[in-house]
Amino acid sequence: MDLLDNYKKAWGNQVEIPCKFSALEIYKMAHAKSSSIVKWIFIIGILEFVLLNSLYFFMDMEEAYEEYKKMGLENFVFYSQIVVYAILFYFLAQFYLNYNQISTTDSTRQLMKKILKTRKTVRNYVFFNLSYLGLTMIVVTIASININIDQLNNKQILLVVFLMLIATIIILGLFWLFYQLLYGILLRKLNRNYKELAQLETEIS
Amino acid sequence: MQKDLEAEFLSDFEKNQNIAHKICRIYTTDKDAHNDLFQEIAIQLWKNYSKFRGEAKFSTWMYRVALNTAISLDRRSIRTMKTDDFSDVAYKISSDEYDDTEEKQLTALYQAIHQLNDIDKALIFLYLEDKPFSEIAETLGISNVNARVKMNRAKEKLKTILNPKTWIY
Repeated sequence: MDLLDNYKKAWGNQVEIPCKFSALEIYKMAHAKSSSIVKWIFIIGILEFVLLNSLYFFMDMEEAYEEYKKMGLENFVFYSQIVVYAILFYFLAQFYLNYNQISTTDSTRQLMKKILKTRKTVRNYVFFNLSYLGLTMIVVTIASININIDQLNNKQILLVVFLMLIATIIILGLFWLFYQLLYGILLRKLNRNYKELAQLETEIS
Repeated sequence: MQKDLEAEFLSDFEKNQNIAHKICRIYTTDKDAHNDLFQEIAIQLWKNYSKFRGEAKFSTWMYRVALNTAISLDRRSIRTMKTDDFSDVAYKISSDEYDDTEEKQLTALYQAIHQLNDIDKALIFLYLEDKPFSEIAETLGISNVNARVKMNRAKEKLKTILNPKTWIY
């Protein structure tokens, strides 16, 4: 007889667990607020969309627009904003659709796949935003050098480019670090479990 | 309608709550975490109950939802103190003749399972509950063959933990 068979027998013979809940207790529990990771991903995701977009309200857009106009960038700003908003709505729709499909009644693998996919949607949106931020900074740098080209010598141009580069890297780096921390912690376990199941699938097939 | 559904759910869950308790016991080590997980299972079951209604046996459906909740719920609690509330509670065995061998085996078994990873825990749990491979594979979302391979590995791991000396022979 297998070693585990004995243990399995003992398992089968265990009596009901002493801390049984009454129907009333179960009723209260079933109506409590969920603290599942899926819910947190949803809340944090929504917060990210809201925060990133509310940044525009805090900035004095009119003044910024005047500056852009001086640099001859009003077309760039106008058209890129249209694209940015179109993409924002695309991501929001994707995020909501993915989130809506998550259900604990799926198989474990399917469930984890969907959770990670929902998460990836927001991550991609943030990456998109960071790239847009980087692109804007580069364009502004080039434009400001362009209009002041007569007054600047080579050294000064290099200095401006260098400073802008450093500033861009620091800002993007901070965002990236924040991201790694937030989701690294939040999704570590989920990622590990998913890899465990997915790895097996590829091993055999 | 809602009231009927609720009453039906409560009666189904109350009858089968032992499944959820066993899963909580495998995935948590202290009483607070046990109850947190139990509550989340209750929430998930109720949330999906109207969709389930009569599709399969309640208990079969419950295994899946409860295990998924246990595997995907983030159990890192804010509580830093780890109280091992259950270690002093003996695992009771129902048997005509009183014999503590099985109780000791059960305690050792739970302790060993605690050392496995989340997926192996689920596999071993379904094995102990005598579930067929087809159901195990479907619950976890992997193929039948994979379920068998994975199960063998999980069992080997469990055996090594239960009887660490075996590797000498």
